[in-house]
Amino acid sequence: MKEFMMIFVGADYADLGLSPEELQSRMGKWFSWGDKMEKAGVLRGGNALTPDIRRVSGEHRTVTDLTSAEVKEIVGGYYIVEAKDMDHVQEIAQDFPDYDLGGTVEIREIMVFDE
Amino acid sequence: MEPKLIDHLFRHHYGKMVSVLVRIFGLAHLETIEDAIQDTFIKATISWKNTPPEHPEAWLTQAAKNRVLDLFRKLKAAHKRVPNLTTGTETIAIQELFLDTEIEDSQLRMIFTACHPRLNPKDRISFALKTVSGFSHKEIAAALLTKEETIKKRLSRARTVIQREGVSFKIPQGKALSNRLNSVMEVLYLIFNEGFHSTKKELLIRKELCAEAMRLCQLLLTHKSTQTPKVYALFAVMCFHAARIDSKTNHDNELMDLRHQNRSLWYFPLVALGNTAMHKAVEGADFSSYHYEAAIAAEHLKASSFEKTNWKAILKWYQHLYELEPMSIYILNMAVVQLQDKRFRESYQLLQQLVPETLGQRRYLYYATLSDYYLTQEEYPNAIKYIDLALDLVTNLQEKKYLEKKRVAMIL
Repeated sequence: MKEFMMIFVGADYADLGLSPEELQSRMGKWFSWGDKMEKAGVLRGGNALTPDIRRVSGEHRTVTDLTSAEVKEIVGGYYIVEAKDMDHVQEIAQDFPDYDLGGTVEIREIMVFDE
Repeated sequence: MEPKLIDHLFRHHYGKMVSVLVRIFGLAHLETIEDAIQDTFIKATISWKNTPPEHPEAWLTQAAKNRVLDLFRKLKAAHKRVPNLTTGTETIAIQELFLDTEIEDSQLRMIFTACHPRLNPKDRISFALKTVSGFSHKEIAAALLTKEETIKKRLSRARTVIQREGVSFKIPQGKALSNRLNSVMEVLYLIFNEGFHSTKKELLIRKELCAEAMRLCQLLLTHKSTQTPKVYALFAVMCFHAARIDSKTNHDNELMDLRHQNRSLWYFPLVALGNTAMHKAVEGADFSSYHYEAAIAAEHLKASSFEKTNWKAILKWYQHLYELEPMSIYILNMAVVQLQDKRFRESYQLLQQLVPETLGQRRYLYYATLSDYYLTQEEYPNAIKYIDLALDLVTNLQEKKYLEKKRVAMIL
């Protein structure tokens, strides 16, 4: 078994003008997805990220503070799952709730170094 | 474990929290408050993805409480007038405002604000759906079959009037209460009817509007000063109509008239609830139009088949309605009832009394009824002539289709 990270990329919820009702129904979908992974015993962890961004870049360590409104897409969070291979994770990612909002799941394998 | 959220928890909680915060900070800050609460829900959605709380409702209330201080700082920084929260007693008072009974009280204040007579009646509905019920612009637009832009305009107009007139966030007292309560009932009834008579294909949206009107009506019934026989009667009307909503249209969203409705789809728990409300409603001495409308709806529900409808009883209720408010629509309804009861001459006499222009947008109903009358007399050219007039005037697409179907049957 290997570990993979599912990285969620898309617009920030705050910028989509979702109503309380829509937020709740989305919530329900996240709950059932999390529950499904839990039951399958594949979920190893994960976090949601706040939309504030501080970027430090380049030789001069240039600092830029950004909000989600200033970037088109933002990493909203990630899950770490245990799976056989990419195909297996792809299957798990079928239930990601935000495809209809233009969301993307990026699947990356966690690198393991031989001792 | 997957926590199960109560249906519409977010939407309802939004309305509750906005009301409580407005009670603390005042209507002047309504927009800021609405944004702050919306933000709370977004935060909840994001943080719950990984660790759902054990008590979602308590979590949301706590989050709203935390907002109080945020808002206080924010408004102060913007040099806005804010209540003094620094003293101990004020802070305790704020805690109490988050108790269930006080939340209900705040919500009632919001409903009464939404129904202030200075607000344009159309703006009242949108404003109530937004601030009391937690619908978004898009959802209100979809429910009322209007453009989102129109809704935004109505809401901003309502806010402007509230600021300009210095509308207070209170439940009026004495004589003012009964006037305003009438306006509240009217708005709730309109919201209900928007749902009940909507041509919207999705039954869900229609049901949501009806359910929201009923929920707010129930809220009125929990409060002593608004627990009047008339409000009970309004609630009964809503129950009786809502019981039939599934049978009003068929699978193709075609309108089904009472004769063709599948009576086994009627939802009897709601009928029972309506009956209970009706018993309370008749404890008072005065009967309102809601009382008579409920009585008429109840007669239809009592009949096990269309043929067994007690038309004479219904006619009597319409006569009472007409005595209360002499409106042409009641005469028209009496004519329809007489026609169903096969008292053709009486029906025709009633129709003769009517000046169709007084019916306004419902003029097509007059011509459709006249056509029905001629049909019973087997005077087909007249029947066709008047159904054509009705078809020219009808705007509701479902009703148009219904009339077209009838016309086709006439010429076959």
